[in-house]
Amino acid sequence: MATTLDNQRTLLRDDIQVKEVEDLDKPPKVPWLMAIVGVSAGVAIFIAYRLYMNHYSFTVGLDYFSQEFQVYWMRVFWGQLAIMGVIFAVAAPWLWMTREKDPAAVPPRLELRRYYSMFAILALAAFAAFVALGLFGEADAAWHQVTIRDTDFTPTHIGLFYFAMPLMFGALLLAFIWIHTRLPDFMNRISIPFALLAAGPFLIFPNLGFNEWGHTFFYAEELFGSPVHYGFFVLGFGFFAFGGFLVQCYNRIAKLTDLDGDEEPDHA
Amino acid sequence: MAIVTPESNESPDKDPKYSGERSAKSAITTREEQIEAFRNIDLVSIPIIILLFGGITVFLSAVTVGDWDYWMDWRDRRWWPLVTPAVYIIFPAVIGTFTWKKFRLPIGATATMFAFVIGLWQSRYFNFHSFAGFPLNFVAPSTFIVLGIILDATLLWTKSFFATGFIGAFFFGALPYAVNWPVFALWHVPVSYDGNLLTVADLAGYQYIRTAIPEYVRIIEESTLRTFGEAVTPLTAFFAGFVCVLNYYLWVVIGSYLSESRWTHKVW
Repeated sequence: MATTLDNQRTLLRDDIQVKEVEDLDKPPKVPWLMAIVGVSAGVAIFIAYRLYMNHYSFTVGLDYFSQEFQVYWMRVFWGQLAIMGVIFAVAAPWLWMTREKDPAAVPPRLELRRYYSMFAILALAAFAAFVALGLFGEADAAWHQVTIRDTDFTPTHIGLFYFAMPLMFGALLLAFIWIHTRLPDFMNRISIPFALLAAGPFLIFPNLGFNEWGHTFFYAEELFGSPVHYGFFVLGFGFFAFGGFLVQCYNRIAKLTDLDGDEEPDHA
Repeated sequence: MAIVTPESNESPDKDPKYSGERSAKSAITTREEQIEAFRNIDLVSIPIIILLFGGITVFLSAVTVGDWDYWMDWRDRRWWPLVTPAVYIIFPAVIGTFTWKKFRLPIGATATMFAFVIGLWQSRYFNFHSFAGFPLNFVAPSTFIVLGIILDATLLWTKSFFATGFIGAFFFGALPYAVNWPVFALWHVPVSYDGNLLTVADLAGYQYIRTAIPEYVRIIEESTLRTFGEAVTPLTAFFAGFVCVLNYYLWVVIGSYLSESRWTHKVW
């Protein structure tokens, strides 16, 4: 009689990552340590960035054309774009090249562990989103109320549109690749809710262009609840789809944790 | 590589506590492992949902309601009681639909408004007070948690989105001014300043120069003849209640759609 463990072992293949199968006899654990270290690193980065912004925005960040702006802010601008670009350029191909080729080759315990890892990483991403959308988003609102209209670049835009948003977009895109190449239930098809989620930060860029164009043309004041900002709402549409993605995960996890079992995953 | 063979462990089916065949697709073998798995998923899901939806609501409120809820001198009797609940009903409608339809938990509205208010406080303190230098009481956020409780309590009581929209959403729109009156009251005390009658909020607003100050930008108290006198606020609240009813139904439908598990096999 085949048992769960028997089947998991027979399902193992040589191309499964060695470390991932070492503890397959034990039920998987949530990688809390990794999550705590990751959250702490994220907190440290955001605190450092925020302290820098507090200290240098109103002192050397008022005029893009000044020499000190080039030194204190444009170096940050180019530096962060370069770092994020390199990370994405390396991570995205690596995730794709090391993808699972056969969904059936992933044992259930390994699959459950990957769900745990994904949720722990998503907790980090949720924290980053909370900080980015709240602290960096409304920092821009506060900034625009006490300064005259922008020059080409402003410290709060460098923090929001060239750091927080690309970071969020890049992280969600990497997560999209990882999910669709590591979780058997997501392989060979596309999760529409997660696609909406990943597209959300990118879809605000057309409105970013419209917003800046509008402010140089017909809308000199900076009201936040104004038509030139309404298009940013598409970011919310994307994030509202997160519930659908959770349902997809929970459906599969329910089968992976069902004592009575379910022979085949539902790929309907 | 750690070789795992079928013989290296005892079959869980031999445990007398459990009977029946284990599924080849299940990742757990005992009831204890199952309970631990459920607990793990709960523990990682809750912070994700709260942080993510808290962050997104702060961002969305900034680009839609924005100034009406940033400044005390914008929180008037005509626009603030209408615009604010009309937009803020979106978040509990979408997230409350997800938590009720999928988990039968009438907590979505309360949890959302709680995370939202926490997000508002951190933003007002770090962005408007610490970063831009406004007095904290001048930019303190309004509170909406009790309105979320009303919405959830109605859903729990009626178990019907239709009735919740008709009753709960109406009160969500009608009560913000009453709920926040203790916050606003001292700012609406009339003062005489250089021979002009104005409120404390107006006086504070004139002292703190913002790009939202000019009266052609500051959209408050717009009207023709003041024939309604003191009835402006109750009339606005009554109207806002009906706007919220309609908006609630609309976003319950959208929330229902976004909460579903949907897949595609094609990108285009």
